[in-house]
Amino acid sequence: MKAKKLFVVMIVLSFLFTACQTSNSPTDSPSGSAGDGVPAVCASDAFGCAVFKKGDVIKIGMGAPMTGGDASYGIDISQGGMIAIQDFGELNGFKFTLVAEDDGGTAEGGAAVANKFASDPAVVAVAGHIYSGATSAAMPVYEKAGIPLLSPSASLPALTTMGSQVFNRIVFTDARQGPPAAEYLFNKLGKRKLAALHDGSDYGKGLAEAVAARFAELGGEVVITEAITKGETDYTPVLSAVAAKGPDALYFGGYTAEGAVIVNQMKQTGLEDIVFFGCDGTYGADFLSRTGANGENAFATIAPIPAESPEKAAFDAAYLEQFGKEAGSLSPYTWNGYDATGALISAVKSVAVLGNDGNLYVPRGALVTAVRTLKDYKGVGGTYSCDATGECNTLPPMFVVVKDGAWVPAE
Amino acid sequence: MNVTSIQKLTRKGARISEILRPLLGAIIVIFLLYRLYDVFIVQQEYGPETWLRLAIAGLVIGSVYALIAIGYTLVYGILFMINFAHGEVMMLGAYSGFFVFEAFKAIKVSTDPLVTFSNAYPVLSVLIAFLVGMSVSALAGFSLERIAYRPLRKAPRLVPLIGAIGASIFLQNAAQLLFSPQLRDVTNPEILARGSGWGIMVNGSRVILPYTGVFTFFLSLILLAGLYLVVQKTRLGRSMRAVALDKKTASLMGIDVDRTISLTFLISGALAGAAGVMWGIHNGLVYYFVGFIPGIKAFTAAVLGGIGNLPGAMLGGLFLGLIESLGPAALGIDFQLKDVIAFVLLIIVLIFRPSGLLGERLAEEKL
Repeated sequence: MKAKKLFVVMIVLSFLFTACQTSNSPTDSPSGSAGDGVPAVCASDAFGCAVFKKGDVIKIGMGAPMTGGDASYGIDISQGGMIAIQDFGELNGFKFTLVAEDDGGTAEGGAAVANKFASDPAVVAVAGHIYSGATSAAMPVYEKAGIPLLSPSASLPALTTMGSQVFNRIVFTDARQGPPAAEYLFNKLGKRKLAALHDGSDYGKGLAEAVAARFAELGGEVVITEAITKGETDYTPVLSAVAAKGPDALYFGGYTAEGAVIVNQMKQTGLEDIVFFGCDGTYGADFLSRTGANGENAFATIAPIPAESPEKAAFDAAYLEQFGKEAGSLSPYTWNGYDATGALISAVKSVAVLGNDGNLYVPRGALVTAVRTLKDYKGVGGTYSCDATGECNTLPPMFVVVKDGAWVPAE
Repeated sequence: MNVTSIQKLTRKGARISEILRPLLGAIIVIFLLYRLYDVFIVQQEYGPETWLRLAIAGLVIGSVYALIAIGYTLVYGILFMINFAHGEVMMLGAYSGFFVFEAFKAIKVSTDPLVTFSNAYPVLSVLIAFLVGMSVSALAGFSLERIAYRPLRKAPRLVPLIGAIGASIFLQNAAQLLFSPQLRDVTNPEILARGSGWGIMVNGSRVILPYTGVFTFFLSLILLAGLYLVVQKTRLGRSMRAVALDKKTASLMGIDVDRTISLTFLISGALAGAAGVMWGIHNGLVYYFVGFIPGIKAFTAAVLGGIGNLPGAMLGGLFLGLIESLGPAALGIDFQLKDVIAFVLLIIVLIFRPSGLLGERLAEEKL
């Protein structure tokens, strides 16, 4: 029964998709209604069309933490996206642009940015948001407005299981990040007593719990699971309590701002000899500069750095030239930012229709479908195809460790 | 409804609260005793080394709270208003300290790139950082009073309070625009390196007394003692106490009320500035929002100790710091709940002892 339903849905979707495809071709007969230049697809589309007159700019939005303790993520990923705009951002004389708005990585900020984007008719798609908490707060707004999302970094598992039509991501889910981290701690590092800390966010908590569960399953002992208060500068009390349980490794689910403070204060609380194991939220140059010598031997999990290819080399060179830093030094997701923006642009190009009046029409509903049915998009990080829930990546994370003040792949 | 029935109702309400309060008190005490019994006797999760570590962290943060709380109490004692922008005054001090250390880090005194001014002359650079931080904050407190509070002196009491909240928001946003919203790391001189300190062996484990923590704690105590002497022994202190008692009579006795109020804001600003520089030295992170939470906590501490009461604010600060850091462990609850403990404590004190632990001395005398 269920399979049948799914089949019907797929047929309808593919029909929609092909309909848009054909109307896109320039040889197609004028499909506009009553000759005013508006293509027929706009009338039938559930969300209508975004209309661009000559000289208008097609906007790809991005909600990201651009300020505060985790700003390096937003800055880095949006810079990756800007290079994608330079590489692909032109369609029939219409230019694309990336609008990165600061959501501070918070739920409130995410909702505010989403409302701003939803009220701007020129925003057709959003490469984001960057943080899971901001994303889940923003999703309902985009759902109503018919704006598709393709997040480079929001890895909370629940985001794709809530039945959202608009949310997709090219990052791994934490269901694939947490358990391998536990296995690495248990098997590779030989740790048996784990302290699992998190910052109380959906993302951090989910991750720490997943790691703790897998670690216990493997036969290790989870000596303490504790939440810290986000945004503080003194975690010595909670670390002292952790030290009292005698763990031999500390897992932290959260972001650099708090992770760096924890690493700095571990040695004054009796945790100087144990391993700090972070996640994709505690990676980056900021972590290194803020922890200095204390950060030595800290682990993190990140999206795999793309294999060397001419495309990656071109991207890295462009990044270094324009922003003065090595690509990937600020966050692990700059390539994902490039790929997410690039994939969205290609989806827009696949559905956009040039009307007889010279205006460009982007049918929103068809674009939502086009992003969800993204197939074999080749980016620098790999080839992406989205499944029915919006997961577009199947690559597992990789492990990195700080050695001599730099992140290097852990063996 | 006539007067007698209202009186009856109030009397009835008073009787209900007379019964409820001890009942509530008993429930709270029984709950606390049960949790303490569970943690200390049954579970025995933490050894003495952990309690010592928690107490050290609590005393250090508590001494900073105490310094800020003094500012609330001084201003309340004299003007009967809560200066909610006080936390932002502390933030300006923290930024000043940060910039001074940055400047000294940039000055090279020898060919060795590692020998910076702040490492070559650590005492001098820390001293200058405190002087600059205290001056900036004192000036900020002073201008705040001149610009925002003095025009509202005759207005109803709620008006300057709202003015203070407005000033707080203004200062936060001004700092965000001026200094950017990024977190800044404070670079200490080597002798005050964060995380290092004297080690004591307790129960087979090395407990570290961090240099920055010890420095913060004793400097706070010295400043607090100095302030107490100023208020009790000097001419200025006498005029402050006189203005707190009765502004009109004080001015009739030849005391310049405006000048005394200005000086009060200068002093409380300077103490908040010192707290800000200490915060930077001990915790190492400075940003535009850094004064908000300590400000609220210090306000709590001032109310705990009895607002308007100087020793009360000092005691309230240290007490709050200790409760915050020992509380979650002692009650066996999540450490994320430490703010909850602090504010529940405030509510409990307000229910059972509305005038604070040591009493609202100055205000009582006013009434």
